[in-house]
Amino acid sequence: MEKILYYFFNWPLIAPHLPAMLKGFAVTLQMAALTIAFGLTLGLALAVLRTYGNKLLNAALIFYVDVFRAIPQLVILVLIFFALPGVGIVLDPVTATVVALSLVLAAFAEEIFWSGIAAVARGQWEAGRCGGLTFNQTLFSIILPQVVRIAIPPLTNRAIGITKGTTLGSVIAVPELLNVASSVQSTIANPTALTAAAVLFCLIFLPFVRLTRWMEGHYAPKR
Amino acid sequence: MDDIVVIQGLRKSFGAQEILKGIDLKVGKGEAVVLVGASGSGKSTCLRCVNRLEEPTEGVITVAGTLVTDKRADLNLVRRNIGMVFQSINLYPHLNALGNVTLALRKVKKLSRADADERGRHHLEQVGLADRMTHFPAQLSGGEAQRVGIARALALEPKVMLFDEPTSALDPELVGEVLTVMRKTKEAGMTMMIVTHEMQFAREVADRVAFLDQGAVLEQGPPAEILDRPKHKRIQEFLSRLH
Repeated sequence: MEKILYYFFNWPLIAPHLPAMLKGFAVTLQMAALTIAFGLTLGLALAVLRTYGNKLLNAALIFYVDVFRAIPQLVILVLIFFALPGVGIVLDPVTATVVALSLVLAAFAEEIFWSGIAAVARGQWEAGRCGGLTFNQTLFSIILPQVVRIAIPPLTNRAIGITKGTTLGSVIAVPELLNVASSVQSTIANPTALTAAAVLFCLIFLPFVRLTRWMEGHYAPKR
Repeated sequence: MDDIVVIQGLRKSFGAQEILKGIDLKVGKGEAVVLVGASGSGKSTCLRCVNRLEEPTEGVITVAGTLVTDKRADLNLVRRNIGMVFQSINLYPHLNALGNVTLALRKVKKLSRADADERGRHHLEQVGLADRMTHFPAQLSGGEAQRVGIARALALEPKVMLFDEPTSALDPELVGEVLTVMRKTKEAGMTMMIVTHEMQFAREVADRVAFLDQGAVLEQGPPAEILDRPKHKRIQEFLSRLH
């Protein structure tokens, strides 16, 4: 018991390193927020584009979605960071991580939004169009508000799963939470740094999970 | 009499199967025409061609003087003249009753929210739903929901209303309230095309009954003539099966 406390909950030992860890926490938080914002926006935009039924565009879109869902996130991250400079595109580690994760999240989000659009009854389109609404008006005022409600639970799961991939940034020296925690652990020779990191990760993702639970309830069809 | 809807030589095929085999039908201003016939006879398809929810394969349809079947016709403009009420009701589940009625008023007629709400409330009162404005579709009974559906279509002040089996999905005790609203709509002078199996209603409200059989109008005329003294054996058989 004493050993467990010493190795995992040794707060006095890591106290001096806490400011550094909080900086890492801030980097992770920022990357997570940007990934969710870009990933979901791009995913929704792609799903909307797909409704217009342009065959060529849709073929390209489906190719992108399938490829980015198939390749591990770390592979995409490493490719973006180490291979793109070969064609003159150099991204700093934080940007590279956000871009890689956003592209992956967008691919999954597109599929989730798209299946949501397909799940809305055909009669909803007909009712909208019969009222004189254009395709776009029907899509944005009638279909998508329903799709977002359907899509919240699966989107939440994906968004959390993929934004946790911010820790992959440590591979390309992003000073995010896990990376900082690992260095602190080496310095003080005590894994409490990782316990602290775990607590901080919970601080990021638990509120997010709770928020989406609230949204699910709030946007559920009124009974 | 001004004809609001004129259908000439309407044909519609789904793949190799021809559902409508040359329909000719006119609906005059303020007239209520009820389409009856066995299921699969093409009643609903015919109705859905009028606002081009189904694309006619052949034939000419004009509504309020506009050529609906013109390939270059602006469907959004055409459809402003045509209200539609569905068997499946199709209320927008994320909007309350008033929101359902006012959406197109704001997006299509470009009314301000205040004006749209005022008109929406008026039309919901007209269908007896003054106390259901803020209810969501899932909180309404089937009959109430369908009356919202009718108010939603009437609020756009169309030239003709299409009713596609408006009471077929309702519990029997809720049918009457919807038919009452339809009767009032007719009395207010609305031009109506109605697909229904409510023969008593057809008898009372229809100016004309058209009996469709296998994609063609077999016989049409005043309800007393078609429903009580039909010439064709097929109509006699159909009616006897209903009773």
